[in-house]
Amino acid sequence: MNLKLNKKSITILIISILAVLVPIVVKDSYIRHLFIVSYIYGIVVVSWDISLGFCGILNFAHMAFFGIGVYGCGILVKTFNVDPAIAILLSGIIAAVAAAILSAPIIRLKGIYVILVTFSFGQLLLQLVYSQVNITGGALGMVKIPNLEIAGYSFIKDYKFGYYYISLLFLAISILFVEVLGKSPFGKSLKAIRDNEDYAVSRGVSLAKQRFLSLIASSIFTGVAGGFYAVYFRVASPEVFSFNPMTLAMSMILIGGVGTVWGPVMAAIGITFANEVLAGIKGLEEVRFIFVAVLMLMVMKFSPGGLYSLVGKIPIKKISNLFRGKEVNG
Amino acid sequence: MEIVVITIVSGLVLGALYALMASGLSLIWTALGVFNYSHGPLMAFGAVVTWTVIEKLGFSLLPAAVIGIVAAALIGAIVERFLVRSFYGNRDLLLLSCMTTLTSMIIIEKGIQIIWGSRLKLLPRIIGGEINVFGAVISAHEGLIIIISPLILLFLWRFMASTQTGRSMRAVGQNQEMAHLIGINVPKTYLLVFAISTGLAGLSGVLLGGIRFVLPTMGAEPLLKAMTVIIFGGLGSLGATTGAAFILGMLEAILVQFVGMYWTPSILFLLLIVVLIFRPTGLFGSK
Repeated sequence: MNLKLNKKSITILIISILAVLVPIVVKDSYIRHLFIVSYIYGIVVVSWDISLGFCGILNFAHMAFFGIGVYGCGILVKTFNVDPAIAILLSGIIAAVAAAILSAPIIRLKGIYVILVTFSFGQLLLQLVYSQVNITGGALGMVKIPNLEIAGYSFIKDYKFGYYYISLLFLAISILFVEVLGKSPFGKSLKAIRDNEDYAVSRGVSLAKQRFLSLIASSIFTGVAGGFYAVYFRVASPEVFSFNPMTLAMSMILIGGVGTVWGPVMAAIGITFANEVLAGIKGLEEVRFIFVAVLMLMVMKFSPGGLYSLVGKIPIKKISNLFRGKEVNG
Repeated sequence: MEIVVITIVSGLVLGALYALMASGLSLIWTALGVFNYSHGPLMAFGAVVTWTVIEKLGFSLLPAAVIGIVAAALIGAIVERFLVRSFYGNRDLLLLSCMTTLTSMIIIEKGIQIIWGSRLKLLPRIIGGEINVFGAVISAHEGLIIIISPLILLFLWRFMASTQTGRSMRAVGQNQEMAHLIGINVPKTYLLVFAISTGLAGLSGVLLGGIRFVLPTMGAEPLLKAMTVIIFGGLGSLGATTGAAFILGMLEAILVQFVGMYWTPSILFLLLIVVLIFRPTGLFGSK
């Protein structure tokens, strides 16, 4: 990757520095908690972009892989006494294995059948969680998952200081991965499949193989995010398989912009905070879901490329030139 | 012997319900190429409106049911007009319409919860009492479902096959431009398809409300089952959907009887995957 000092890389640099500085400025553990939650959602939506955004697979099972990460980590830690730090990483592999199994039917299916199968996969897992009470805790979920502790340092200390940087690190790694992947020949072949399947196949791109790989790559990160979620919240509840988190994550992608990397991340942070603010207002606990839904409908209707697609359209150059008193050229 | 009869009868009840729900979904799919997630919560909406008309206005069940079904159809028409219509012709129609109908599902579901609360409600049954079918005792209401559902599907089939409106619906599904060219009002037809389909959702809700509690989420599990029916049978024709619904209903009844409630969904899903691996467009799918 060549690091040119263009507008984009400067913006990214500023955002990264700000993100690193947040815990130093923000001492409140609740605000830090909101950042951590939004970073978890950030990982989920960024990795979803690999299969949904790049490859165009109508993959509605992404939150199911997240849930597999949550429960995989919970079961590893509680039933098999695995160290939480290792369990978090292993949950990525568990999710990838699940993705590999599910991809057997998916890679050969088209359009609506992909949606139907991936969708019912999540619902099937929900029913499995409910019925296997001995392992999963049923409707009550798994509670008291041990805290993360590395070299004697408990991460719950110092107002979630450690958790903040772990989640930021995971988010940074997944963004970097997706950015590099998007520019790699592999990423380009995925986009080729999305944009013109017949042409891509005729140029020698293996449809089944690329779809399979994109599903695996997509699920690893969300699985790790799920494992981290389980350890951070110390619970694994069946709610992760329900409609609400799925549509919330989906709305982040669509509001941010499908196929872009930074749009969904920014939307993840924005929506997580907006959602929490609304949840705090009395009487709006249920209405907030409607609020996010309506916001998403508005964006889809008036800016189908997501809010990120508007970024390029804001005439920054013209505005800044206006201030400098220069002639506006082009 | 008795256990066989019980299994068959409960399979028929399930199949009849699934057929009613899945045919509505299949109707929209065939004409528009859109999958309507609001079908589930609109079942609950139809049931809850019917309940309100009975409880607050003192109507009897049948007129109340008609009002409930019309209300569900009206919301369905609103969903089509404002959430789906602007995406026709878009290459991402499938994803976009899935997302908009999914959000409308949340709005309707949460809306019902906010307006009606989560108090448990039960609709009166169309006919009370129990009937004995060769040794298997079921409620008369369930017996009625076994009879009503095929009748409605038959009616729907005749409607699609021989009336002007029904035929224009099929024409629009097959070739939108040609249909437009020969003078069919395409937007109006789409609206009508949505209204009829969601009206069917309302009807299923009213029928189901006599057996299960009327909750905002009462349509979620049936919607999932209807999806399974559609994957299983393939989208495209009313006959395929109905056949798949009854096969699946029977299978489920057999599995519940001999394997138990817990493992039935998993086995059905595995079976589905196996079917899809060998026939990627379902058992009777054409496209």
